[in-house]
Amino acid sequence: MKTFFYNIGYFMKEAWRTIRMNFLSNFFSIIGTGLILFLLGLVTVGTIIGNQFITKLSQEAEISAYFVEDMGVDAAKELVSEIQNIQGVWNAKLIDEMQACAMMEDMLGEEAKILELFEDNPFKAFIEIRIDLDAMETVLSQVASLEGIDYVRDNRAVLKQLQSIIRGVEVVGYLITLAVGITTLILLSHMIRQGIYNNREQINTLRLLGAPGSFIGFPYVLVGVLLTLLGGGLAIALLILLIDGGYPKISGTIPFLPLPSQTLLIQQSATLIVTVSVILGVLGSLFGLSSIGKDNR
Amino acid sequence: MIEAKGVSLRYPDGTVALKDINLHIKPGEMVYITGPSGSGKTSLLKLLLGIEFPTFGSLKVMDKSMVRSRKGRINKLRRRIGPVFQEFKLIEGRTALENVMIGMRFLGKSPRKIKEEAINALKRVGLEEKIYSKVENLSWGQQQRVAIARAVARKPALILADEPTGNLDYDNAINILKLLNSFKDSNTTVIITTHATHLIEGQKDVTYIHVNNGSITVEREELAV
Repeated sequence: MKTFFYNIGYFMKEAWRTIRMNFLSNFFSIIGTGLILFLLGLVTVGTIIGNQFITKLSQEAEISAYFVEDMGVDAAKELVSEIQNIQGVWNAKLIDEMQACAMMEDMLGEEAKILELFEDNPFKAFIEIRIDLDAMETVLSQVASLEGIDYVRDNRAVLKQLQSIIRGVEVVGYLITLAVGITTLILLSHMIRQGIYNNREQINTLRLLGAPGSFIGFPYVLVGVLLTLLGGGLAIALLILLIDGGYPKISGTIPFLPLPSQTLLIQQSATLIVTVSVILGVLGSLFGLSSIGKDNR
Repeated sequence: MIEAKGVSLRYPDGTVALKDINLHIKPGEMVYITGPSGSGKTSLLKLLLGIEFPTFGSLKVMDKSMVRSRKGRINKLRRRIGPVFQEFKLIEGRTALENVMIGMRFLGKSPRKIKEEAINALKRVGLEEKIYSKVENLSWGQQQRVAIARAVARKPALILADEPTGNLDYDNAINILKLLNSFKDSNTTVIITTHATHLIEGQKDVTYIHVNNGSITVEREELAV
């Protein structure tokens, strides 16, 4: 360990010398790694936004319970308090015909003119129930079994579709991460092997002088980590540019999409990219280094 | 220091380089391995440095059995040896000082101590003026001195020099041999291979190992009392 600390300066110098020796190839491998990691960053950002969207939607999961037509307002209010007591129900509210019509007008916006075609209010009073998404099945069956409830409408289908889209994005994310990993490892181990080949005389001499494998190999691990970190830095820079430019546009065009905070998004993606860079750097170097030390010469 | 019993070395292509070698070298001895080119001198040095391993027989260097085993063991042994290679094996693009220091960096010494000892070694071989010169800018003889400095700066128990007089004129060759001789002490054994027997004739307190066709004969010249 003492020897390691004594030689930190030497290792860094050697790593820098190895990078300089093959500067153009290393420069392009940084660009390549950067673009690959940028892809990973894009997937990460997509997954973070998607998950946030699902969480928000889940928190605001609503069902509508319609009661029998001849039920009076008092009986309906009693039903509301009964529903309120069911486990998994956060809030229950009676919406009368007028409120139901106003809500629809809000939803339709400019298209609300179509409602003028009706002579009478076509909407029925109902009970709006905000629930815990995880308890949806139980709540639904309990509400439906209450006396006076005609039928219950839920938005499970929409939520399930959204969840499957997010799951799809996640699977694509895993595949891209795998592809990023394999590509970076191949690229990097090739660069390290090239570095080792260029320094083969020196490595051979060090071996004959009794240098341990860790002493010979550590500068190359540093090279690998440095190359992927520089690539990671490039990916983060591109991602920041994209988020800075794209965020206001997304939140402007899709105002209902609950986006996570920009800083948090950048922080989380950057942390992931840096971690992946370091891991890939170390692994890629170790793969490359496996060509050292096959014999004693 | 070195003990060989019935050692033979056969290369994978079938060439027999050494046959039934029996040898005992004590600590602090000055040994010349002589013989014509291709006689097996370098093969013997390769065995001592753990580059090759005996096909038959047993060989011990500094009490360590030289068998094809874990690399770590051979590496540790090599750290106690100061090799001077025939082709020097200096690292181009580095200064003389860096070349000497690189062989000491994994010996557990502090960078300050390494630099100090490396400079001393370069001074001892007469290269104080060339400490910061790139090795490729040095003459053949100067490069050889850097290689010797790299070997001795490590304060090894065994110095192995392969044909150090190979490409030198008479005066330089004699000077290099004298220099290598000067590193021999009670703790340091020096083994030199050479085919130039005229350079080493008549020396006292030395051991000559004559290699011919893979077989050896040992002759000891005692110091005159």
